[in-house]
Amino acid sequence: MSHVAFALVLALALGFFSYNAQRLVRYLRIGHDENRLNDIPRRAWNLLRIGIAQTKILRDPLAGPVHALVFWGFLVLQVGALEIIAQGLIPGFTYAKILPGPLYWLFLASQELTAAAVLAAVALLLYRRIVVKPRRLQGDGVHSGDAIFILSLIGALMVTLLVTSATDRALGVDHPAAVQPLSAALAQLFASVPHGAVQAIHHVSWWLHALLILTFLNYLPYSKHLHVIVSLPNTFLSNTSGPGTVGAMKKMDLEQETEVFGAADVTHLSWKNLLDGYSCTECGRCTSVCPANITGKALSPRKIVVNTRQRLLEVAPAIVGGDDVFGMPFIGAARGDAESRAALLDHKLLDNFITEEELWSCTSCRACVYECPVSIDQLEIINEMRRNLVLTESRFPEEVQPAFESLERNGSPWAFQPSERAQWAEGMDIPTMAELWERGERPDILFWVGCMGSFDDRAKKTTVAFARILQAAGIKFAILGQEETCNGDPARRMGNEYLYQMLAQQAIETLNRYEVFTIVTSCPHCFHQIGNEFPQFGGNYEVIHHSTYIERLLADGMVPLKHETGEKLVMAYHDSCYLGRYNDVYDAPREALKRALPVVQLVEAPRSRDKGLCCGAGGGRMWMEERVGQRINVERKKELLATGAEAVAVACPFCMTMLNDAGMKLESTVPVYDIAEVVAARIEARSGDGEARPSEGRSEAGE
Amino acid sequence: MKIAVCIKRVPEMDVNFKIAASGKGVDEAGLKWDMSDFDGYAVEAALQLTEKLGAGEVHVISLGGDVVQETLRKALSMGAAKAVQLKCDAVPYDAFAIAAALAAELKAGGYDLIMFGKMSIDGANGVTQFVVAELLGLPLVHACSKLEIAGGKGTARREIEGGGELVAFPLPAVVSIDEGIARPRYPSLKGIMAAKKKPLEVRPAQLGEVRLTVEKMELPPARAAGRIIGEGAGAVPELVKLLQTEAKVL
Repeated sequence: MSHVAFALVLALALGFFSYNAQRLVRYLRIGHDENRLNDIPRRAWNLLRIGIAQTKILRDPLAGPVHALVFWGFLVLQVGALEIIAQGLIPGFTYAKILPGPLYWLFLASQELTAAAVLAAVALLLYRRIVVKPRRLQGDGVHSGDAIFILSLIGALMVTLLVTSATDRALGVDHPAAVQPLSAALAQLFASVPHGAVQAIHHVSWWLHALLILTFLNYLPYSKHLHVIVSLPNTFLSNTSGPGTVGAMKKMDLEQETEVFGAADVTHLSWKNLLDGYSCTECGRCTSVCPANITGKALSPRKIVVNTRQRLLEVAPAIVGGDDVFGMPFIGAARGDAESRAALLDHKLLDNFITEEELWSCTSCRACVYECPVSIDQLEIINEMRRNLVLTESRFPEEVQPAFESLERNGSPWAFQPSERAQWAEGMDIPTMAELWERGERPDILFWVGCMGSFDDRAKKTTVAFARILQAAGIKFAILGQEETCNGDPARRMGNEYLYQMLAQQAIETLNRYEVFTIVTSCPHCFHQIGNEFPQFGGNYEVIHHSTYIERLLADGMVPLKHETGEKLVMAYHDSCYLGRYNDVYDAPREALKRALPVVQLVEAPRSRDKGLCCGAGGGRMWMEERVGQRINVERKKELLATGAEAVAVACPFCMTMLNDAGMKLESTVPVYDIAEVVAARIEARSGDGEARPSEGRSEAGE
Repeated sequence: MKIAVCIKRVPEMDVNFKIAASGKGVDEAGLKWDMSDFDGYAVEAALQLTEKLGAGEVHVISLGGDVVQETLRKALSMGAAKAVQLKCDAVPYDAFAIAAALAAELKAGGYDLIMFGKMSIDGANGVTQFVVAELLGLPLVHACSKLEIAGGKGTARREIEGGGELVAFPLPAVVSIDEGIARPRYPSLKGIMAAKKKPLEVRPAQLGEVRLTVEKMELPPARAAGRIIGEGAGAVPELVKLLQTEAKVL
């Protein structure tokens, strides 16, 4: 009889769950189509690495291991849960009937030890939620109640599991005590309890455990704990980790007939952006590393994702129908008349949930995306919404318009004349592509200078330094000179895809006309754009950042360096987001600096490499005023100064400007150098007797 | 409310111009072109008027070769409803000749308000709107910094030396716009796409008689480099002497 009852309960639970599952899937489909099944091997690798091995969870040294333990425990305990369900349906079933003794004992031991470990982890996590209350778990309307309920549920599952196996032993089931040390100890407690009572406890405990599993399953669709089901597929389907897709913005089809460009509401996002909403477990890791949030601005990447989910659950029932089942309203379901339905449809994600101010605060530093343990792409949602603001509504901070207009007119975000572009090179004997082309020659590399490197007085020094390194190394290189135009990165990041595509196509045309193959640039934004995003428009080049190029030249001993040791300079290197998190270049600039040894001694700021804090200029923030909160660049400069560094090294003209400005605000005399300047300062001046120098330099560098 | 805005395509001004071989104009090689700044303010002001009134439309008119269609399209992408190109191979220098062509077009249009920038930023004559007003027999308000239309009447503020002037006028009228009225909007992609479908009519310009031509154009003489006459108090007598005899400012 009890097996019939269990079968009924199970059918009901599975039925209810599958109803909810299909409801959630139907909601996803109000988003745009997008193919996320390309490059399966990489996706599978991400699933194993990020999903199963929990590499990103483990980035937090405290909560990471504890959560990973619960997750792995969850996987192990699924094997036991299957046994329970089989037991419920088939009288007297246990794995003992199908597994050979030692293997069954291994199963018992795994369940028992895992349950104990998970119980301990749950206790720790509850303590953290209730007593410690870490900052990143607060804010954005996030409540701990959901988490505390789930943790209690998991705890109860473990307790009932242990009680069931302990009473099993007390009732005379005999497994070696060594494989069930806890149950064996617990069973002692039941020794004096009457047989009938133990039997009753066993029965109740088994049923409780089984019912808790089914309750848990059905609670998920109503909770942030939906991530238990969704995060693995989300990691598999995500584009956030992989060569060629890291940080590359989606190409827009501008010719398509449409009323809305970009995203103003969930219906304009892709189904994957919506799946991100389901996957978010509100852990706040993204927000805790967001430079805008850290410095007191309105932006919280978590809120962007949570709002996307909230808006989806608000509007989707009104769009797809199916408001309720069995006359029971669902959370977020549209109830009532046509009028309230119209009011729902009138609401949007933009403005009603997410404000302009939040969207423009983003520096596109990718820290949020990088940190998310379940591979959510917060930045894609922000970018799509910025596109909507600019392309559909022409709504953006006032300061941005001159940059757009200047990009259109002058091919640079600043109002400089193209004719001034190569002024830095005057008297340096650097050929342009046009000149070489006319002579029928080709350079080894094209030096893409970038707008900042061409026009900004401070950045021009980096440009000159890098050119000097190339000359000292005997590299045959050319520049585009007047023919270089902005590749459009700032326009794209600020949501102006139309302007971006015009600029990108123009730049690609120029590069292809000269059959350019290898490009070296000292600007990480140009590096990322030309290398990772130009392929979308048929621009395929080998693009190398100058830090990597310098490092290679030094490693090959091609740059003649000075011999005298000089005074050791303590330097802190600041990672540029577009070099680091966007392109995984962390070592080359550090190596280049170290090779300038023994003059340079490197120190690291607490936030460095893939955890590095943005300078505040990315994502078009360079052209916007920073009016709210502390200044990101000042915050970053303070951190770098706290290392005791006598100089700060950068590998990006934007970081250079921001950290210099911060230095002035902080009245710091600590200088900022580009790595090219550090290396160029160490170049041996070529004198009459210097013929042996390059080879000596080689042996020095090789040490 | 039907508003016409007359706009002109001009070169970007922040470049080092060269004189063309003819000596009668600038070398146009490599120049970038856009709507004249004051005309941009006028288009914006016109769009804001119709938006505020919730009715009416803005038409833009430009005179010149087919290249002006680009400038007209920009105005359409900002929100103008219709564009007219008064086609002629070369835009004459004579404001009267241009004004005659514009007046012929405007007369038939039945406009309540005809707007101009207060002057083009290349020629900087600031005359055309006066001639158009005269040819059409309409009142003219020059260089408005504020403009309101209510009940078939207009009021405008003009900046004058040391103060402001508030004027009232009946419609139809001709007004020219000064900066400060409104910053021209940045066309959205939605606007750019919509502009492709809006009507752009082309008809031959009925130019008036050209009585004014440019004979010669020249660049200002290059400024002489600064001179260092010495340092410290010892240099003062020499400096005073030069300021008296050479610069003649003392």
